[in-house]
Amino acid sequence: MSATPNGTLANGNGSAGGYKWHNKYPHLGTGPVPADVFTSQEQFELERERIFKKVWLNVGRVERIPNPGDYFVQDLAVCNTSVIVVRGKDGAVRAFHNMCSHRGNKIAWDQGGTCQNFTCKFHGWSYGLDGRLKFVPDEESFFDLKKETLGMTPVAVDVWEGFIFVNVDPNPTETLPEYLGDLATGLKGYPFGEFSTTSTSWTSEVNANWKVIKDAFQEVYHIAFLHKRSIPDSFTSKNNPYAHSLDVTLYPRHGSMSLFGSADYKPSPVAKLAAQHGEIVIRSDFSMDGLPAGVNPLRSEAWSLDLNVIFPAFFVDVSQGSYFTHQFMPIGVDKTLWTSTQYYTQATTPGRRFSQEYGNVMFRDIIMEDGRTFEETQSVLSSGAKKEFYLHDEEILIRHSHHVIDKMLKGQPVDAAFAANGKEAASHA
Amino acid sequence: MPETRLPEQFRDLEQWMAWSLETEGERSDHRQASAMEDITAFYEAMLARMDEVLPYLEQFNLEELPDDARHLFYLTLSLAEVAPAVEQFGQPSVVDGYDIKRFVATHR
Ligand code: FES
Ligand SMILES: [Fe+2]
Repeated sequence: MSATPNGTLANGNGSAGGYKWHNKYPHLGTGPVPADVFTSQEQFELERERIFKKVWLNVGRVERIPNPGDYFVQDLAVCNTSVIVVRGKDGAVRAFHNMCSHRGNKIAWDQGGTCQNFTCKFHGWSYGLDGRLKFVPDEESFFDLKKETLGMTPVAVDVWEGFIFVNVDPNPTETLPEYLGDLATGLKGYPFGEFSTTSTSWTSEVNANWKVIKDAFQEVYHIAFLHKRSIPDSFTSKNNPYAHSLDVTLYPRHGSMSLFGSADYKPSPVAKLAAQHGEIVIRSDFSMDGLPAGVNPLRSEAWSLDLNVIFPAFFVDVSQGSYFTHQFMPIGVDKTLWTSTQYYTQATTPGRRFSQEYGNVMFRDIIMEDGRTFEETQSVLSSGAKKEFYLHDEEILIRHSHHVIDKMLKGQPVDAAFAANGKEAASHA
Repeated sequence: MPETRLPEQFRDLEQWMAWSLETEGERSDHRQASAMEDITAFYEAMLARMDEVLPYLEQFNLEELPDDARHLFYLTLSLAEVAPAVEQFGQPSVVDGYDIKRFVATHR
């Protein structure tokens, strides 16, 4: 089986076997993944210091703080901190360590709200929306207090397409646009704002390593089995029984996978009703006009959705008419806060809202099937019975992700390996 | 005290008023707490009327639903809630699923 220069197989629907993605990205090799990366406390501490405290992390969307004074709190246990994200009087989004300059108490104990000042509950020190220390009760009895140097400690923050990212590195080595790179370029023009006027979101504290959860969402090899009840014929067909993906694009750290959608999909009675009144993921009549180049990159008519895995643990999965995100925030080596959110354009009619509710419920129930594997897997990982795990060619995003983590933990540049691969890939074609 | 009613032509569905629930959390809890035969009976009763229910509701703006229509609308959302139980799983909960009580909705 040989790949054509653009990475598609001759039959065009991605159904044939072979080493399609390995041939496209040979630098990742074919070896197994060590099992202890999911259970080692030492590995987790390195991930904390060399990854999570160094890179840009998504903490939410701008719709959550539309007005000056609106704020939310994002606990970042993996960075040993909590962050306040606030919209200032000038409309700018700022982020601060959620920690008082007096004796370190967490300033905001809630999850968010609207305020004029942040006042510490311990001794009443008060900070402006811009982080400046404004008021110290009984200030005269302090010694040489320089209020202008005692504001809340800022955290680097930037916004891409309405997604708010923070970087707790006091001196980030790259900007958010540099970090997102070509993945962001490819998605430019996707109507994230228009599609984010309403959302449904669920969260759960899972007793599993963050990579166990992430990996379950970045391959489609499992669809024919784990999802055989919920989506028996949406992502698989007679010609593509194992849901082989249409395309894979890897970036130095991020990765995208374009997923097959079956035209033979037979909607259930309620799915049919929902489709009459709104968008569902798989449809035959979608238009590719206006889709950004990075969405359905092959312009396939057998397309369902694209996974966009933003390193280290944020997914922006886009389809026609709506998108959803997954966010995995590590708490400990075997504990992770899992959040999944489905975004929609606010419905104005009952029929559209009904259609969206069906989409919500299906989305929720499908990821409940994924969710079952997390703790079932983690609960036996520490046995040591297995030393390594074997990856299918369609599990290349997992291979890539572990490769990047390994490089970063060793302090090796990820870009160099990628550049070398570019040359190899060119010589293959 | 006026009791909760559905629009006149849908009064036959009033036996299902326990499913007239405003939030996804409430609807999900009700699905999980219900027997499969009740879920199936509700599903079949609603599905049989949806060709009239949706056009009826569509004459209103979502924000301006009269009380009786709003309850009918909540019943359609409950139909969406129970659909996978009937069409995919054959039981109230997701077969081999994660514990849905631990999957906490942060929306309304
Ligand atoms: S710790 Fe905040 S005022 Fe004392
Ligand atoms: Fe899945």
